Amino acid sequence: MAGYLLRRFWHMVLTLFAMATLMFFLFRLLPGDPTATVISPSLYPKAQEAMRQQFGLDRPLFEQYLIYLRNLCVLDFGISFQTNRPVFEMIQGRLLNTILLILPSMLAAYLLGAGIGAIAAWKRGSAAEVSLVFTATALQSAPLFWLGMLAILLFSIKLDLFPIGHIVTPGMFPEQDWRMYLSADFLHHLALPFLVNTLYQLCFPLLLMRSTMLSTIGEDYIELARMKGLSERRVLFGHAARNALLPLATTLPMILGWAVAGSVVIETVFSWPGLGLLMIDAISRADYPVAQAAFLLIAVLTVFGTFIADLLYGLLDPRIVYA
Amino acid sequence: MPASETRPLLSIAGLSASYDTPRGPASALARIDLDLDKGENLGLIGESGCGKSTLLKTVMGVMPGNARIDAGSIAFRGRDLVSASAEQRRAVRWAGISMVTQSALNALNPVLRVGDQIAEAILAHRQISRAGAWRRTEALLTMVGVAPERARDYPHQFSGGMRQRAIIAMALALEPPLVLADEPTTALDVVVQDQIFRSLRGLQAQLGFSLLLVTHDLALVIENCERVAVMYAGEIVETGPTREVIRRPAHPYTLGLKNALPRLGSRDEPIAIPGGPPDLVEPPRGCRFAARCPFALPLCRSEPPPLTTVEPGRQARCHRATEIDALAPLAALPQTWDALREGPR
Repeated sequence: MAGYLLRRFWHMVLTLFAMATLMFFLFRLLPGDPTATVISPSLYPKAQEAMRQQFGLDRPLFEQYLIYLRNLCVLDFGISFQTNRPVFEMIQGRLLNTILLILPSMLAAYLLGAGIGAIAAWKRGSAAEVSLVFTATALQSAPLFWLGMLAILLFSIKLDLFPIGHIVTPGMFPEQDWRMYLSADFLHHLALPFLVNTLYQLCFPLLLMRSTMLSTIGEDYIELARMKGLSERRVLFGHAARNALLPLATTLPMILGWAVAGSVVIETVFSWPGLGLLMIDAISRADYPVAQAAFLLIAVLTVFGTFIADLLYGLLDPRIVYA
Repeated sequence: MPASETRPLLSIAGLSASYDTPRGPASALARIDLDLDKGENLGLIGESGCGKSTLLKTVMGVMPGNARIDAGSIAFRGRDLVSASAEQRRAVRWAGISMVTQSALNALNPVLRVGDQIAEAILAHRQISRAGAWRRTEALLTMVGVAPERARDYPHQFSGGMRQRAIIAMALALEPPLVLADEPTTALDVVVQDQIFRSLRGLQAQLGFSLLLVTHDLALVIENCERVAVMYAGEIVETGPTREVIRRPAHPYTLGLKNALPRLGSRDEPIAIPGGPPDLVEPPRGCRFAARCPFALPLCRSEPPPLTTVEPGRQARCHRATEIDALAPLAALPQTWDALREGPR
């Protein structure tokens, strides 16, 4: 097990190194001169030259790459072109906002999706089950941004139940300190993006759980569990659902990727100041240090999530041996 | 309680069941009558698809969703299970009637410890602590010849024979008076099969349960059961003491089964019964075996034969059951069956 963890950790480092490298060169392949926003062409050539030297842009590309890697190791992501603040500082708060929205939402989606999917399989053929499957399929096929806009239109504008966008009411916490996360105002703002994202992400685990449950229910051990005189609930959750969870755990890494991608959409629609929104802003303003760091962080989240999912799979299936 | 002494432990009467198929209901069980006394071993034999497993599932009350009981009763200790409530049925399962299923890896849940799967059966029926159920589980495994510490293992860590033993331990967990066994050793090799049956008989001597053994292996029935019932296409065609039935079958199908058995030291080739079982969605109007029977009369095709008592304790569902002594020598000849194979039906 220790050997496995070590090897797995090494793979994660390699993956992230490859991501960082790819990102570095991709951004430099983009058309246009990103430094133009910082180093104005209207400056004296001498001044331009001095600034290039200051940012290290006069050195060969490969040397820049090595410096970039060295800085990454000490979590130095450089200075934002736009705000002139260290990127690390800008990202910190944004990362927390994203995690606070996406993590509980994904957890809820998976737990609820698996539970509802299991019950749906048990009630196969009932009118409730048929309409549930139809609704889930339709929801899953709908674009997330459209669902978000509909939700804002209905719940925020027409019914005036939830605020439109932002993490807290602007001006309430001018200091942007941690106390805002404990306020009811924050939860009020969180509710709608959380609900929309959960509802959308819930469809996939629900449908998958339902179909794997249906194939599990036909297994001999389910029949044996029933013959043992166990209650239907125990047969359903203790035996059938327990087995149907395995494919669900397998798809978890993939879903995490979707969730991160989804966070970009949901944060944009709800003006949620998270990593996704930061990334979109950074790209549209050619703020490359910020965009690079945001991309890299999303890669870290995905890689780490995949690792957790792998460990979870071993917990769920005793036939898996880590060696 | 003199009444309970005389009445059979399990009494199935006039049981008919069918499966819904796209073409209509298929008659899987037809007018099944079967009695099983306390401590008795009954073999139920027949080819694949004849309804043996359906009968067991019906008795256990775990029929699939597209199956239903059309008529009849299943009395266990004098109480009808067909009309019992779901809760009453659940209480009888395992505590009253348990089942040894086929030994495929499938019968045990792959993601749960073997011990937990046995213990949960105990916990579902007895007021007992988890630790108590676990101790009982370990004792049960020891009883069937599996080391008690293996209770913590998962099914994939067990060999085929051990899995079968674990399933037997599970079936005996609540010391039920009746154990059903559905082809319990089909997936095992002959040596392990022999070991399993030897320990099963030992446990039976110790615990005194009745056994209903379902198999297509005639030899197993001869070795283990004093009485046998032969099933064909959803009907019981013959019942009686095993020795008698094998020595002097009273139904042409049983004669055919006996022919199909290879005999040690005999140079005669086994004779197969030509044809296949009838379509159960539209079962034949008369005898269900008539189309494959070399002795069928016009009457057999039009009139379903009643279950007739051939001798005390022996019954056969055949119009010609009384003339069977004259037909038996003919049935031993290959050309009797060959004629059926070539000729028009």
